[in-house]
Amino acid sequence: MVVDGLDLDVPAGEIVGLIGANGAGKTTTVECVQGLRKPDRGQLRVLGFDPVTQAEQLRPLVGSQLQHSALPDRLRVAEALDLFSTPRARDGGELLEQFGLAQRRRSVFSSLSGGEQQRLFLVLALLNRPRLVILDELTQGLDPAARRNVWTAIRQLNDEGTTVLLVTHEMDEAEALCGRVVVLRAGQVIDAGAPADLVERHASTAVIRFSLADPPAPLLDQVRRLDGVREVSRAGDQITVRGHRRIIAYVGAVLVRWESVPADLSVQVPSLEDALIGLLDGDQRDQAEAAAVIPKDTELIGGRR
Amino acid sequence: MSTAVGRLVRAELRLMTRDPLVLTFVFAFPIVTMLIIGGAFGTTPTPGFDNVNPAHWYVASYLTVVIAATGLVMLPVHLASYRERGVLRRFAAAGFPRWSFAIAQLIVGLLTTAVACALLLIVAAPVYGVPAVHDGWRVAVALPLGAIAFVSIGVLLGSLLPSARAAQAVGLLIFFPSFLLGAGGPPPHVMGSVVRQVAGPLPLTLLTNAVRAPWLGLGPATGSLIGVAVLAVAASAAAARRTVL
Repeated sequence: MVVDGLDLDVPAGEIVGLIGANGAGKTTTVECVQGLRKPDRGQLRVLGFDPVTQAEQLRPLVGSQLQHSALPDRLRVAEALDLFSTPRARDGGELLEQFGLAQRRRSVFSSLSGGEQQRLFLVLALLNRPRLVILDELTQGLDPAARRNVWTAIRQLNDEGTTVLLVTHEMDEAEALCGRVVVLRAGQVIDAGAPADLVERHASTAVIRFSLADPPAPLLDQVRRLDGVREVSRAGDQITVRGHRRIIAYVGAVLVRWESVPADLSVQVPSLEDALIGLLDGDQRDQAEAAAVIPKDTELIGGRR
Repeated sequence: MSTAVGRLVRAELRLMTRDPLVLTFVFAFPIVTMLIIGGAFGTTPTPGFDNVNPAHWYVASYLTVVIAATGLVMLPVHLASYRERGVLRRFAAAGFPRWSFAIAQLIVGLLTTAVACALLLIVAAPVYGVPAVHDGWRVAVALPLGAIAFVSIGVLLGSLLPSARAAQAVGLLIFFPSFLLGAGGPPPHVMGSVVRQVAGPLPLTLLTNAVRAPWLGLGPATGSLIGVAVLAVAASAAAARRTVL
């Protein structure tokens, strides 16, 4: 069973992300939402309609950009707009302009690059003013500039009141776009919440590294005693501080007070990706990370758990 | 035509003109083989050809070869390729009405056979002449019924077979024996009795009888016409069910 007992509620007007490892059931879930796959049991309502028995009413209200789909090879970009336009469609030319495809109007589908094909699918998903947009691997294959462009478009769309269900492996994308993220594992929701809340719950450890030749013992002692610090270690001149993300400010303040701000000061902030890995891998990763990060010649100066 | 079916038909016809090689089999194969076989037995009426001009016998037979080539070779490959590559999923997800794709394929298939049949007659006319039609209404009923039957079989095959390659292999495997036994191959009088028995109930044999007999004045072929009608209804219902988006 790919999806089992999934309880998912997507409020109107939100951008909700579905994340999880490969095979977690994300694509199966969105296929059920679109009525492309029939659930064995359970209740599913999308915009008030049953996606299987009321597909005719529902599908015109949903725009989707699917994984594993294509257009006929020799269909031109402008013809694809013509083919997929319904009477409620917006101006396809404007969308092509917005997504950098205006120059490719006469190009056939097979001649487009992977990124251009992806953008064309996005244009088609947005063409008929959908109330719900489902985006599966939205920015796969796009260059950084195109990704930012697509993110801006999604935010605009959401500002206009469109609900967005986003399936992604790109955690920076989920953090940038989603108000709420749902984490799936083996077809079940294992956690959900705002990206910041997930990070707080599952990956709150920040890591600060800097070098100080002969650091004064009181400085290190002061750092070790800071609220939120879990561990301070030293390997030669390099000092590593681990703890809750608020230690970033506190450690910075201590260094400023001691007038010894190191040139190589670096901060590793916990991200949604860390949270996802923490959620999926659990304790195994903590152990592996601890073993990998602290080399044998590192002196543990102090720490709290 | 701004309905979903209209948009699909328009797009499919455009795509066809952009990929003329796809149509080669449907357009060129029947014409070339008709020119060869039609000339092989001369033009003198003989008992083996029910006392009609053998060339006319084949001209009347080859319209059904066009229909079979469209249904058994062109459409299954086209549809299986669409399914394999996710084009049908995209149509479904985009909200195309459930029956729109099946209806569009039927219309495109019928238009293709109509054009290919017209071309075949245009080529046959100066070479062998086009025989006079004795029972026009029966021919006029049998041809579209046969086209609906074979286009539906093609759509059905395309929806059942797992890949475009499989569709091509199976389509050709069905087409060539049907063609040789039921329409464009040797005349029945040179076939052994077992082969004739095998050929008799084949869909293409039924369709060829239903068209050729009333065309050349060889009888009404009512049994064959009924068989084709039953096949058309059954195949189109099954195809529509299988290709619902």
